[in-house]
Amino acid sequence: MPLLPYKELPYDDPGTPDLRSPARYLFWVGRQQKWTILAGVFFGVTWMLSQALLWTSVGAAVDHGLQDHSVRSLVSWSLCVLGLGVIQGVSGAIRHQYAVTNWLRATFRSIQLVGRQLSRVTTAAADAIPSGDIVGTVAMDAMRVGGAFDVIPRFIGAVVSWLVVSGILLSTSVKLGLVVLIGVPALASLTRPLMKPLHERQRAQREVAGQLAALGSDTVAGLRILRGVGGEDVFFANYTDISRKVEKAGVAVSKPQSALESGQILLPAILTAVVTYLGAHEVMNGSLAPGQLVAFFGYATFLTTPLRTVIEFVIAGTRAIVGARKVLAILTIEPPLTDAGVVSLWPTHASNLHDPQTGVTLARGTLYGLVTETISEASELADRLGRFVASEVSLGEIPLSHLPLDEIRRNIVVSEIEPRLFSGELRRELDPHNVRTDAEIRSALSTASALDVLDAAEAGLDTVIEERGRSFSGGQRQRLTLARALLLDPEFLILVEPTSAVDTHTEGRIARELRDARAGRTTLVATSSPLLLEKVDEVILVRDGHVVATGSHEQLLLTNPGYRQLILRGDE
Amino acid sequence: MSMLPIASMPTVRRHARDLLGRFRPQIIVMLALYACASAAALVSPWIVGQFVQHAVDGTLTASTISHLTIALIAASLSNTVMNYLARRRSYVLGERVFATLREEFLAAVLRLPLITVERAGTGDLLSRTTNDIEALNRTVRFALPEWTVAIVQTLLTGVAMFLAGPLVALAGLVALPLLTISTRRYLRYASPGYTRERIAYAMMFGSISESAEGARTIDALRLNRRQSQRIEGNINESFMAEMYTLSMRLWWFPITEANFAFSVAVTLFWGGWLYLHGYVTVAAATAVTLYVVQLTDPLDRIVAWLDELQIGQVALARLIGVAEVQDTRPHDGEDPRGERIEISDVRYSYREGHDVLHGVSITIEPGERLAIVGPSGAGKSTLGRLIAGIDVPRTGAVTVGGTSVADLPLSVIRTHVALVTQEHHLFIGSLRDNLRLADTAASDEAIVAALRAVDAEEWVNDLPEGLDTQLGTTGHTITPAQAQQIALARLVLANPHTLVLDEATAMLDPRAARHLERSLAAVLDGRTVIAIAHRLHTAHDADRVAVVIDGKIAELGTHDELLAHNGEYAALWRSWRSEASGAS
Repeated sequence: MPLLPYKELPYDDPGTPDLRSPARYLFWVGRQQKWTILAGVFFGVTWMLSQALLWTSVGAAVDHGLQDHSVRSLVSWSLCVLGLGVIQGVSGAIRHQYAVTNWLRATFRSIQLVGRQLSRVTTAAADAIPSGDIVGTVAMDAMRVGGAFDVIPRFIGAVVSWLVVSGILLSTSVKLGLVVLIGVPALASLTRPLMKPLHERQRAQREVAGQLAALGSDTVAGLRILRGVGGEDVFFANYTDISRKVEKAGVAVSKPQSALESGQILLPAILTAVVTYLGAHEVMNGSLAPGQLVAFFGYATFLTTPLRTVIEFVIAGTRAIVGARKVLAILTIEPPLTDAGVVSLWPTHASNLHDPQTGVTLARGTLYGLVTETISEASELADRLGRFVASEVSLGEIPLSHLPLDEIRRNIVVSEIEPRLFSGELRRELDPHNVRTDAEIRSALSTASALDVLDAAEAGLDTVIEERGRSFSGGQRQRLTLARALLLDPEFLILVEPTSAVDTHTEGRIARELRDARAGRTTLVATSSPLLLEKVDEVILVRDGHVVATGSHEQLLLTNPGYRQLILRGDE
Repeated sequence: MSMLPIASMPTVRRHARDLLGRFRPQIIVMLALYACASAAALVSPWIVGQFVQHAVDGTLTASTISHLTIALIAASLSNTVMNYLARRRSYVLGERVFATLREEFLAAVLRLPLITVERAGTGDLLSRTTNDIEALNRTVRFALPEWTVAIVQTLLTGVAMFLAGPLVALAGLVALPLLTISTRRYLRYASPGYTRERIAYAMMFGSISESAEGARTIDALRLNRRQSQRIEGNINESFMAEMYTLSMRLWWFPITEANFAFSVAVTLFWGGWLYLHGYVTVAAATAVTLYVVQLTDPLDRIVAWLDELQIGQVALARLIGVAEVQDTRPHDGEDPRGERIEISDVRYSYREGHDVLHGVSITIEPGERLAIVGPSGAGKSTLGRLIAGIDVPRTGAVTVGGTSVADLPLSVIRTHVALVTQEHHLFIGSLRDNLRLADTAASDEAIVAALRAVDAEEWVNDLPEGLDTQLGTTGHTITPAQAQQIALARLVLANPHTLVLDEATAMLDPRAARHLERSLAAVLDGRTVIAIAHRLHTAHDADRVAVVIDGKIAELGTHDELLAHNGEYAALWRSWRSEASGAS
């Protein structure tokens, strides 16, 4: 394991970041890890200086060993080179450990903050930012934030070693010292004009490359249809088309990219030539020893590293600001509903859930069927009843806005039209709060007519579900999520089209089981299935936003032609 | 459960060789340019050696200095120019090679047999399309060019060392044994660590994606804490994976760096000793020492990029593996004569010894409407897929017009039988592209006619850019019902004589479904229809109903016959039309 002790991530508490601006956020992150940054600076400086001083030793070996014909000096200066090499190796490794640590801490702290924020504001984040961008923020932008902290210690090491080398040169020759002191920053700034076209073209390249990746994934996602219906040639032609554009964009990047890389050869070479030229003159005048000239040549070539580090720092710094801005876009989202108006706890006595907007009232202990003209009407009602949006819905006399949100979620569960399954062990996905026995889970699966899914799963309840449960069919997913909702056993359960993807046989079985499973609890099933509706206590018919009729399925079929038409469709 | 093959390493190497062979002239020019650039870079240590020689000999004059400095600048300039030309060529070549690889991959994907697509699911394929292509992107566009430069530089520096002072240069070799051994060990232990890192990060991004996409469910089921704990668990795993590879680097880096210093020190001492004993000049001793120092950088890069090259190799194996899927379907079946579908004693199993169909036989006449009903898992969908020729029965036969569907190529089958499921996918592209995939030669008139047939003309006319409107995840959003209509319009264009409908109208809200059923009716008109029924009224309208239970046809007949038979179907029908007793 690493050379020095380390602190395991994630943090118990990632802290409260400064959200006022990207720069302030970066500064805040830096302050959280100031000691590892300082340690990184120390070893970064040691590492760079040992590289520079290597040349002092090589020069001394030439002067004192070769010129003075002293084997003793030659040996001791060679050992000095070796010693500096060992110092460079060890301090380089420790510096690397701190660089990785700094990078990881800044990156993972940002990811942790984003993760907690997503869990806190949930739908608000999903509404504000497309999910692809949220993943992109974690996969790219958080890492860009980290990148700044990887390069900062090295950057300081570069600055220090540049000053030290300038100092060494100044002490022998003011002219040479000034050349290096002024030359390095001047040359570094010369690369800036190259960076702008490079970054612009890189951005253009990433954009088309992103398009191509999306097209590739899209083709694969629809592959069954492509292979089933045809059109492979059209899609291949489209893909090739964009693929060529990506290639072109890449070729466009290659110009400034190669120019920047070649510039990084040329600029230090200019410095080297000037230093060597001036140094040689000093040697000719006798004010410099030949070995020192070798050392000076070495310093000049060594300065390539600090020069590159400075360029890297500029690039990483710019990217970190961009990354921090994206991270902040997520961290600054506020949840739409808060507990600001809470004045009471969930009442212990039974009361009705009432939506003044439509006139729907759910009495405790009853199984209702809800029939609406469109699914979205049912979903909107469910959103109000479950307080996913602000509304006038009340529980008995208490408006829902007076109750803590967590209590509401605990007691009113809304299972929307296509609930998500998450990846993980089937048992934990069905019982996410880990409060049920296997027997209870099986019983809920039986109610949802999903035991066949369990039987087909290779390891029973221990089976690991893939991301989004995509290895299951739509009907299987629907039955599993129904079982999950039933296992929560809430006071009020609102199910929106819970059987839309299952076949009639199975739907009939679920309809027969649901009543017993929810005995004594309140349930609202928004559905158009006669099999389910004939099993409920009361059907509520909502048209044009208001309750127009209530009664049993049979009653409504007899008395309400509109209901009859909605439920039996055109097959009479 | 990945069903897609991964190419073996010899295959990968052969493939890489063949691919690079196609670009031989470009590669030769590129290598020549790199060689020139590296050669130019080797001039400066030699010049410094000359400076020192003159200084030691006391022959340094202003004109010597000027000449040597001009040579130094000329060498640096040509190094820069050659390097620029070489880099550009290698980047351009990298782009070309990468484009070739991804296009060949997609071509292989589009050739995959339908059965493989159905069974393997899209997960594995999707990760190859995204992750592996991305991994290869870095390898081909950056790692390979960098690595090539480093190798050329190393080789030429080695040559220059021996030219400048063969005796001194021997000392430069002391670094090699330890470097080789430590790097081999490092790669052996570190490579699995990098694989673990990639998996850990992929899981973390997966959790974030689940949190974002499943936000509503997380809120509704109070999974907030669990989800953030999950992300933090992923962070921990990624962190530990990072720590493992870090620890590998932490013993390898110092060894490598100290090793380089060791060779510099040994060369310095050895060169100095040889000079002191009069075997070599001071110029040779200096130049070779400088060469050994200069060797550090390319050697460092050679070993540093090895990781990336390994990653690229694995990614390439997964990409070209897709091309290894054999289409076992023979392509020489006789063209079907007629449209009658005959299923005789068909058995099928997903797992050996577990048949899901136990000897199903039925003949479907042209133009007939057959409804298949039965409980989940009874084998209805399997039967549908056998009829559509996606899968082949274990025993028995499914024939269309007297020809076994197993013997027909996919491109022929789909002009006869099409499977329609509730799955509908809108591709990124124009509405026209989305429809033309069913008939690549279709004119705009034919496309509009197809849209009219499915009752979609009205909303299509309202689209901002008509047939040119961009659809799919990045384009204009349309409703699921509209997407389903597009799927139906594709069928009109593909024009097969038989349709297998597998719960095609499920998951739609009642009003849209009614509308859609009208569209569907237009498509079904004049075709043989095999409907795997979801709602029983489909069965009521059918010419015959087949009740499939436990992999067998339990009941077969018209709706009225089955009601009279008073079996499974009759019971189900009565419960579905419960109003029959009360209302009528």
